[in-house]
Amino acid sequence: MTSNAFTLDDVGVTFETPDGPLIAVQDVKMDVEKGRFVVLIGPSGCGKSTLLRVLSDLLPASKGTARVFGGSGAQARKERRLSFVFQDATLLPWRSVLENVRLPLQVGRWSRLKREANDPAEMVRLVGLEGRENALPHELSGGQRQRVAIARALVTRPDVLLMDEPFGALDEITRDRLNDELLRIWRETGTTIVFVTHSLSEAAFLGQTVVVMAAKPGRILDVIELDARKPGNEIDRTGEAFFGITSDLRHLLERADAA
Amino acid sequence: MKNRFEWLWPVAGFVSLIVLWWGLIVVRDVPKYIAPKPGAVWASLVDNASLLLDNLWPTATAALGGFIIGNLIAVILATIFVHSARARKMYFPVVVVFNTIPIIALSPILILIFGLTLTSKMIVAAIICLFPTLVNMLRGFESVSSSELELMRVMSASRTEVFLRLRLPRSVPFLFAALKIAATSCVIGAIVSEWIGAEKGLGVLIIQTTFDYRTELLYAAIAVSSALALVLFMAVTLAERFLVRWRTN
Repeated sequence: MTSNAFTLDDVGVTFETPDGPLIAVQDVKMDVEKGRFVVLIGPSGCGKSTLLRVLSDLLPASKGTARVFGGSGAQARKERRLSFVFQDATLLPWRSVLENVRLPLQVGRWSRLKREANDPAEMVRLVGLEGRENALPHELSGGQRQRVAIARALVTRPDVLLMDEPFGALDEITRDRLNDELLRIWRETGTTIVFVTHSLSEAAFLGQTVVVMAAKPGRILDVIELDARKPGNEIDRTGEAFFGITSDLRHLLERADAA
Repeated sequence: MKNRFEWLWPVAGFVSLIVLWWGLIVVRDVPKYIAPKPGAVWASLVDNASLLLDNLWPTATAALGGFIIGNLIAVILATIFVHSARARKMYFPVVVVFNTIPIIALSPILILIFGLTLTSKMIVAAIICLFPTLVNMLRGFESVSSSELELMRVMSASRTEVFLRLRLPRSVPFLFAALKIAATSCVIGAIVSEWIGAEKGLGVLIIQTTFDYRTELLYAAIAVSSALALVLFMAVTLAERFLVRWRTN
């Protein structure tokens, strides 16, 4: 038994393009303990989304191995221990809120896995959409749609929640509120979260571990553990400590840009 | 703002054109065997109601039967093509070439094979519906986004599940766009087939009254054909309103 949620060992991804091979990420080594909130931050093209796709077996690694709970990403995906939240909420527009949240339980041999699911209505309440169960996606705001996507991701009680810039398209006020709620949900569920963003303040606010990445080729520049500076992963957005973390991250990213 | 007298506008449009038609015939003193007055067409509609109805049923049956068969085959073909790239490469060009054959040339061939039967009429109506629906359904099945497909993959959904839960519901608005085209073209198919040869039907009536200079009855038959297509079109529109309540955001 391992207490790691996942392990990336020397992972590299190379795409074949007409202009020759393109290295999306290289030499990625990372161990993440169960239950942690990990944020990947970096400029566009640094391969942060690619890493999420390798973890969830949407994309094969060209080199190295990715292991999720000691097994392969494919296995974890088939066992439905992974959930994904995309930048675009990707709700099925013909399904109501409740029906969208129920979707993961209706596909992918869920019933044969004999795993316990969360109650879809309960998940809708968890993300604060009580009373909107029967609304259709086009009747919701962007922030509400993303809440539904989170509820849908949680309905299968995933061990790992992978989030690819889920709040990237939202205004800052909505984004702050959803970040508060995401932390609350994380505490309530104990799910390991890997969260991709290119917002410094989002990274500083959410992450216990912040992985700073650089582009061309995509690689890990630094891994910052914030436990000492954010006891209990709680921080005041207006406080001194928060600004300290954001400016540290900013310096690292500027260095990445210069390199 | 929409008010409850909104429907008066199209009515006024039709009435204005009918008045224009009537006026032209009176002013130019057009003989009634060339073009009848609107009133005379109405009178003919009423007087020949049972003859018109008698000829409406065979045409309506052929059109509706062809509509159902043609669209069903189109949906099945689209389903096969979206799942098998090889089948699509082999047979989609065949369908395209087949579609270039003028329907009026295809009709005699079918009559030689099936005789002056309802079957040959239905096949013509079916063929005319098939192509637009096939093309629309293919596009509908493929209108899924890459993130939707990724979502289905993360959930380990099977190909059947991707089809039933994602592609099929996604394609419904495309299906209705095609059905609206088919609703009017299937009537054209049935009537064209009746021109080439049939014992009864609106197409037969149109040909006969043209040759006999029974112009009022010809116009009445045309009005009934148009009403048939209109009823089918409205049925499709109503079904769509009932079934498609969602919108893409």
